[in-house]
This record gives sequence, C-alpha cells and structure tokens, in this order.
Amino acid sequence: MTTVVATAQTEGSGGHTAVAARTRQVTKAYGSGETRVVALDNVDVDIARGRFTAIMGPSGSGKSTLMHCLAGLDSVTEGRIWIGESEITKLNDRKLTRLRRDKIGFIFQAFNLLPTLSAAENITLPMDIAGRKPDREWLDRVVETVGLGGRLKHRPNQLSGGQQQRVAVARALAARPEIIFGDEPTGNLDSRAGAEILGFLRRSVDELGQTIVMVTHDPVAASYADRVLFLADGRIVDEMHNPTAEAVLERMLRFTASETAQPGHPSTSQFGSGRTA
Amino acid sequence: MTVLKTSLRNFFAHKGRMILSGIAVLLSVAFVCGTLVFTDTMDHTFDKLFNDSAADVTISAKEIDDAQDNGKVATVPVTLLEKAKRIEGVKAAYLDVSSDKITVVDSDNDNIGPTSGAPTVGVNWQESDRNPLELSSGRLAKGPGEAVLDKDTADKKDVEIGDTLKVIAIPGTFEVKVTGIASFTATNPGATLVIFDTPTAQAKLLGSTKETVEVDLDAAAGVSNDELKKNVLAALGSDYDVKTQSETADDAADDLGSFFDFMKYAMLAFALVSVIVGIFLIVNTFSMLVTQRTREIGLLRAVGASRKQVNRSVLVEAVLLGVVGSLLGIASGIGLAVGLMKLMGKAGMHLSTSDLTIKVSTPLIGLVLGVVVTVLAAYLPARRAGKVSPMAALRDAGTPADGKSGKVRAALGLLITGVGGAGLVLATTEDDGGVAGQYLGLGILLTLIGFIVIGPLLASVVVRVLGFLGLRVFGAVGRMAERNALRNPRRTGATAAALMIGLALVSGLAVVSSSMVASATDELDKSVGADFIVGSDMGQPLAPQVTQAVVAAKGKLDHITNFRSVNAKVTTPGGKDEKGTLEATDPTYMQDVRTKAVAGDLATVYNTVNTVSVPEGFAEDNELKVGDKLTVAFVEGKTATLRIAAITADDTMLSHGARFISTATMERNLPEDKRPLAEIMLASAKDGQEDQAYTVLKQNLEEYPQVKVRDQADYKKVLEDQVGQLLNLVYGLLGLAIVVAILGVVNTLALSVVERTREIGLIRAIGMSRLQTRRMIRLESVVISLFGAILGLGLGLAWGIAAQKLMELGGLKVLEIPWATIAYVFVGSAVVGLLAAVIPAYRAGRMNVLNAIATD
Repeated sequence: MTTVVATAQTEGSGGHTAVAARTRQVTKAYGSGETRVVALDNVDVDIARGRFTAIMGPSGSGKSTLMHCLAGLDSVTEGRIWIGESEITKLNDRKLTRLRRDKIGFIFQAFNLLPTLSAAENITLPMDIAGRKPDREWLDRVVETVGLGGRLKHRPNQLSGGQQQRVAVARALAARPEIIFGDEPTGNLDSRAGAEILGFLRRSVDELGQTIVMVTHDPVAASYADRVLFLADGRIVDEMHNPTAEAVLERMLRFTASETAQPGHPSTSQFGSGRTA
Repeated sequence: MTVLKTSLRNFFAHKGRMILSGIAVLLSVAFVCGTLVFTDTMDHTFDKLFNDSAADVTISAKEIDDAQDNGKVATVPVTLLEKAKRIEGVKAAYLDVSSDKITVVDSDNDNIGPTSGAPTVGVNWQESDRNPLELSSGRLAKGPGEAVLDKDTADKKDVEIGDTLKVIAIPGTFEVKVTGIASFTATNPGATLVIFDTPTAQAKLLGSTKETVEVDLDAAAGVSNDELKKNVLAALGSDYDVKTQSETADDAADDLGSFFDFMKYAMLAFALVSVIVGIFLIVNTFSMLVTQRTREIGLLRAVGASRKQVNRSVLVEAVLLGVVGSLLGIASGIGLAVGLMKLMGKAGMHLSTSDLTIKVSTPLIGLVLGVVVTVLAAYLPARRAGKVSPMAALRDAGTPADGKSGKVRAALGLLITGVGGAGLVLATTEDDGGVAGQYLGLGILLTLIGFIVIGPLLASVVVRVLGFLGLRVFGAVGRMAERNALRNPRRTGATAAALMIGLALVSGLAVVSSSMVASATDELDKSVGADFIVGSDMGQPLAPQVTQAVVAAKGKLDHITNFRSVNAKVTTPGGKDEKGTLEATDPTYMQDVRTKAVAGDLATVYNTVNTVSVPEGFAEDNELKVGDKLTVAFVEGKTATLRIAAITADDTMLSHGARFISTATMERNLPEDKRPLAEIMLASAKDGQEDQAYTVLKQNLEEYPQVKVRDQADYKKVLEDQVGQLLNLVYGLLGLAIVVAILGVVNTLALSVVERTREIGLIRAIGMSRLQTRRMIRLESVVISLFGAILGLGLGLAWGIAAQKLMELGGLKVLEIPWATIAYVFVGSAVVGLLAAVIPAYRAGRMNVLNAIATD
C-alpha cells in the first residue's frame, strides 16, 4: 500500500552501512475492534546515514508516532525497526533505554532540559547517566558550534527559549549518537531563533557527519533537510530530495485539499496530551 | 455553587493524595476516641463491678491517713457482727475478710500472682449473693488446709485441683490444697484471688479469729442504704467507718483511678504526637495540591472567581477531608479500644466487649477535633491559593515555581531558635530548679518552633552537605536527587519536620534516661558499700519471714542493715508542717551507703536517738542549721522533738531528699505493733566470703519469689531494665511518629513524582534506566529523611544535655549520650526514607515515557 518506498542507495550486512535506521512493515495501532485506530500502516523507511531527513505531514498523519517508534520510545504493533545494525523492536526496556542513551540524541519541542541542572550539566547528562567521561575536545567544539560559551553555568530558567533549544542541540550532539531525533525542535521559537537552530542542525550534518531525523510541520524548517518524507494517514505518500520551502508548502497544500479532509486519525501527540495532570 | 462543585470534584479526583493526609487525621482521631472509649468502658465496668460486689452498708476500721506499713490489715472485732445483726433495718450481716499483703507460690516456689501490678488477694468465701465469684469446679474450701483459686490464675499458672500452694502471709506462711476453682461472674480486674473459709481467712490472714476486716450488711426491704447507715452510726457510734454501697464503690474506683490515669495520659500523648505530626502532613499536602493546581486556580480567577471563593473552595476540601478522616478515625478508635481491652485480657484483666461504652460526646469530640485540625492546617495553603493571580492561567506551568525560603522567615526562625537556645543555656546555669525548669520548657518549645521555621533554610545547607558526603558516589543520579531535594526547601523542610519532632523527643529522652542509668551506676560504684540489696520488685515491704531468712545467713555476713520508711508529720521551728517520710536505718548504714553531709555528721544521726538529718534544699528553704529542732509527729506514735545533726547534699540520686533517723529513734517513738516493715535490707559479706554469702542468701530467699537479693552488678542491671521499660513507651511514641512521618515523605514524593512527570519522561527518553530513575527517587527520599533525622537528633541532644545539666543538682551527675541508639536512629531514618520511596519510585520507574513527554 505504501506508494513510495524510500530505499537507501546501498544495503548490506556488517560494517558501516549507509543506513542509519530503517523500518519494515511497521504498523502501529491503538485499541482493538471497532475502536481500532491505525497510526502507522505498513511503513517501510530507510534513513540514510549522514543526512538530514525531515518527516512532514498534516496533523494526525502519524509523523510523531513514526519518530517515536524509530527512536525506541514507543513500541510497534507489527513490523521491525533497526537502528544501525541492531533491531530494536525485540529489545526490552532496559536495552532500549541503553540504546537511547548511547546511540540516540533527542531534541523535543519544549521542556528539553532539567530545571535543576545547569546548561553544562544538561549537556553532559546522557554521558553522566552512563557513567562515561565526556570527550572534552568534542564537547568544546559542540558548545562553540551552538554558541553557548558564556552561558554554560546558567540554569534553564535563566536562558531564553532559543538558548534552551541550543542547549538541547548541544546535548544531542555531545554524546556523538548514531542518530538524532528532533520533534518539532523549532516549534516553540520565533523564526529568527528557529533559523539559528536549524542552521546548527544543518552544520552538524555537513561538518560533523551527523544523522538527523526531524519531525516538523513547518515547510521552512523542512527546507533545511536533504530529504523530506510526507506522511498521510499513517502511510508514506511522497518524498522530496533537496526540498525548497515553496515546493514543500505546495505539496502540503495538496494534503489540505484532499487527504486530510477525513477525520478519525488523531496524532499520537494528541493521544498523549489527552490526559492532563 | 460552581466553586463548591469544583472542590468536590477536586477532592474526589485527588482521593489518592487525600488518603495519606486522611490517615494522619484518622490516626489522631482514633487515638483520642480510642482513649475516651477505653477509659469510659473501664470506668463503666469497674463501677458496675464495685457496685455489684459492695454491700449495702459496710462497717470497717477507721481509716488512718498514711498509716505505717507494718504489713497488717486494719481490722474490727468480730463481735460487731452480732451487734450489727440487731440494728434496725439490717436484713443480714456477713464477715468480710480480705488481705492483699500476701504472696502465693506454687510447689516450685514460683509466684502465681499477677505480673501486671495487680494484687494477690486472700479472701473468705461470701455466702451473700453479691459474691462476684461462682464455683466453676471442685468444692469450697473447708478448714485451715484448703483454698479455692480463681480460674484465670489457675489457667495461666497451670494450677489444678489437688495442687498444693504456699501462702506467705504476715502472720505466717502456710500451705493449702486447692479444692476448687472459682470464676468471676463479671469482669476479673486482673487480681489473683485465693479463697478460704471464714475462720481460716481470719486466723491465717489476720492472725486472729476474733477479728474481721469488714462487716457487710444487707438492708431490709424498704430501708435505703443511707437510712441503714444512719441506723448503724446511731447504734455503734463513730468509732468505725460506715460506708454505703456507692461510697465503697467510689473509694474503690479512686484507688484504681491512678493506674488508669497513667494509661489515659500515655494514650493521649500518642494522640498528641499524631495530631502534631499530622498537621505537618496536612499543611504539606494542601500546599502541594494548591501549587499543582495553580493554573487551574488562575483560570477560575480569570473567569471571575473571587479570592474568597478560591480560598473557600480549598477549605471546603479540607472540611471534607476532616469529616471523612474523623469518621474513619472514630471507627478505628473504637477498634483500638477493643484491641486494648483484648490486650488487657492478656495481662489478666478480662473486660467484656458487651460493656463497651461509647458516650455521645466521644464521636463529637473526634469529629470536631479532626475537622478543626484539618481546616486549621489547610488555612495557610488556602490563603496562598486565594493569592494566585489570574495571570497564572496563562503562564506556561512547566514545573511550578520553586518555593523560596524568604528572608523574613529566616530572620524570624533564627531569632526564635536563638531565644530558645538561650533558654536552654539559662536552664543549665540557673540555680533555682523551678525557674530552670521553666527555662528548659521554654527553650525546648522555642527551639522546636525555630527549627520548624528555619527548616527550609537548614534544608539547603544540610542537603548540600549530605550530597557532598554521600550522594556524589551515585554520580548524575545522586546529583539530581540532591537538586530535587533542594528545589523546594520549604517542602523538604516541612516533610522533614514531621520526622524531626518524633526523633527530637526520643533522642532527648534517650539522653536523659541513659544519663540516669549512668549516674545511678556511677553513684552506686562510688557510694554504695553494701554487697547485697534485698528488696521486692513490686515495691512491697519485706514480710517478717523474709527478714528472718536474711538474718539466717548472718554466719556469712559482716552486717545487715534495715531500711524503713516511717510516715510522720514534720514541723519546722518556723511553724511550717508537712506530711512525709523519714528513713530509719541502722548504724551500719554508714558503711552501706556513703551519703555526703555538707554540715554535721551522719554518724551521729544513725547512732543516737532523736536526731535527724535533713537535705540541703529543705534546710535552705526553712533556714535550718545543725542543732535546730524539728517537731515530728509519728503517725500512730509519739510526737518527738528531733535535733538536726547533719545536712545532706542534694546531688544524689539514691538518697535525694531523704531525711534520716536511726532505727532506735523509730523504735522509741512507735509502739512495736505499729513499726513499719523494712522496705529494703542491705548486707555485706564477711571478707572473702562474698560468693558464699550470695549463694546462701539466694538459697534462703528462694521460697520468697516476691523478693530478690542482688549484688551490685545485678542491681545495676535492674536499674537499667527499669529505665528500659520507661523507654519502651518512648519508643512506642517514636514508632507512631515515624509511621506518620513516613506517610508524609510518601506524600511529598508521590506528589513530586507527579509534578515532575515531564522531567522523568525526558530523562527516561535520553537514556536513564528505570533502575536509575527509581534510585534517584529513593536517594531523594533518604536525603529528606536524613535531613529530618539530623535536625531531630541535634535538637534532641541539645534538649537532653540541657535537661541533664539542669538535673545535675539533683544527682544526675553523669552525662551519657547513647551514641549507639543515635546511630541506630540515624541508620533507621535512612531505612525509613527507602521504605517511603518504594511506591513513588516504583511509579516513577513505570511511567510511560511518551505520556510523560506529552504531559503539559
């Protein structure tokens, strides 16, 4: 059913492949019987290593669910997912946690930082949790890249939203993960601060060879990526290489016209926030 | 209405969180109601027992205040029986013989009496229908060699019909065969009863068949008890005590009252502790609920709810909590009372639950207490809720603003603590005991309040130090635990305060009691020369048989000293008089206990007639010096003028406040049959025969299990045991305080975990394992608990030391800090923290990462 299978250029076993993550026939459904809601429907995706991939789609298309599953935050109903060479769909919570800690970096839309820790402590947190010593030289380079030099001792509530997101980017980069996932990392920022963050992400791909997957609904943000995957109703319906903001916007507008007219596919993020404290 | 609806919905939405505060209310109310129900039931039961068993009118010997304890029972002549029968309005008259100055042992020389402090009583069998006993097996005793035993004792001590018992009575020891078992028709007050026929009871318990303890009268039909009493008084004159049924019952209840008062106060202390600790729990819960709901309250305010309405909505929740908690508390209180009654049954006092007395006032008191305490505790948080601005609805809630510990609060707290500390210091330097006591009380109160006020300030210091000392080992997890404990010092402070109070009380009392033991042991070492001390554990005087048994060992002994307490009225030259005791001892007491004299010579006192020593404080108060004369009216004896020959130092525990006279002085002023029995006897072995002497004494006293002979080492152990028993109550209080404190820590952590849902989601997402997440919560809990422990132990030590210094003048000379206990408590607190964190940590670890991230 999936119309476009985004395949990687090379595939193979062992060694360093060009695929940083892939999914095969991944289905994610909530509930059962009458109330069954399919968030992901037989998705096959390959995420190329050292590239910047954006996932786009209208609300409820399943883009956040796809990212959560790829990142080992959420389980799939059917299908298999690999990060690098290791399949994560069979891992238990302990191994998944370790995988996230050692191989994956995260940048969320908001609330990325622990309020009790300073910027520097937040940046090294994944390594501290693992009990690893951070690589000083690398750390300095990352901090310099995101331009946080003078603010490392500040607590999150002493930083602006843009600065907080920069800390989050630095944290994601600091542990040199195999792959970084961003969940609307610029969703809460004004366009100038957003552009800054996206610039850092772009540079980390170009200069540091980092692999990044970003969920966004902003065509401008998507235009920073090498490749855009379009999701609708839990399926990958299109992809675009070297996108421009205009082309992405134009593609998105077509969704608004047709495919998203049908209700009944709540997005996962709404699923989560349905309950309030 | 809407606001009320909101409170109701909130209350039920947060019932999980309310449960913990509810338990605190429940416990407080349960203890208060339990105490009331229990004491009311006891009163009712014993009223009934005494009223049922008391005769319409009773004739007994005139009661003498402070009669000398010569082991004899006050009696009236048997001839009164015949006289009484002729009095108008008397339907029937009986002899009533009883004596509680006996000990009954089985064939193994084991005391079959109750261990609870209740007496062993020998009585005659009453033919009247008021007899509270009925024969359940065997037959009544007939003649001097037979007796009936009560069923509870028989069951507990495995005594059967046909067994031989030995009765140690003042007139002499005798053996009886058990011919029957009798059971109480109503409540057994816990005593051991041995029942003889009337002549045996008279002869063996009183020493003469011509005497009886009471003559009981039944009123003829149509004659009231008061009329009958009048008739009796008219016929017999005022030489005897004549009491109606209700007067007898009242007197009996008074005698029992003091024992129950102790229980009542102990239980009310429990209630007080749970109320105080509970208040902290409630304050904390409501503060957290209000903080958590800031956005919601802001929204309410934004759409037009007034401050007052918001304030009231929180208070309505408090009232609901108070009502629910109190109702459950009342029910639990009744359960507690029933439990206590069962417990009393174990101790030998059988109370029937059908007598359970619940006065109307009991649930009312419980309800009012529960609701008032809850609402008062919720008042401050409610006010804070009222102050929430409508803007709060618009702000990104994220985590609630971290509470600051205000400067005013810090200054106020430091001031109060400072004044309290000064009070403690003054207590140690003040010479006047009364004033010093007031300083101490004030110091304790103010330092406690002060610590509660500056708790948040101390939290940031102490938690950092703890973090530095211990948490760093745990790396990032430890650091986050430390920061979390620090992020809301006010909450940490309030949570720890609950634990602090309990631990401060306990460690303070522990310091005082171990100092007591240490001081007494020290004094024993330094001033007691006697090798052996003979005395009864129940504080009964020594029967003549016992005295003879000790004297029988004199071949191995260097000397034996009798120590008697003599009741007398003492009048100073200034004309002040007081009732009290004088301690009469033999000259050898000089070697047995070296009491320090600040003036005069104690040897004179022990060796001469009509001299006396007085303690320093008494001498100062009455401006007495050596050579002055006291007028001493010996109860049931002569009035003599005694010359003060020595003034003794006050800083002693063993002889504190004692006024010594010689045995000769006692003998000169009291007729032989009125002389009190020895309270204790002291003895020293001949040189080199200590072991043999001890063995012989033990052998000789084997028949008298109510009396123990101890050498100094054993005696020290007994002292420690006695203080240990006192400490058990303290530990009971501690246990309760800890239970409530655990609830508080659980409460705080559970709420914190919920508040930090997103944070926990985040750290889980970026790779913290469940184990690490749980460890983080546990460490935070341990840190909070240890913080409470440090504060509590610190306060308690300061209190204990101040109290010891204060009592130094009274003989508490040695300061002994029970480091082992303190170490246990400290480690125990860490365990408390771990326990409290079990559920919150489990929940934190199980939290769904995605939901956690999505929470707003």
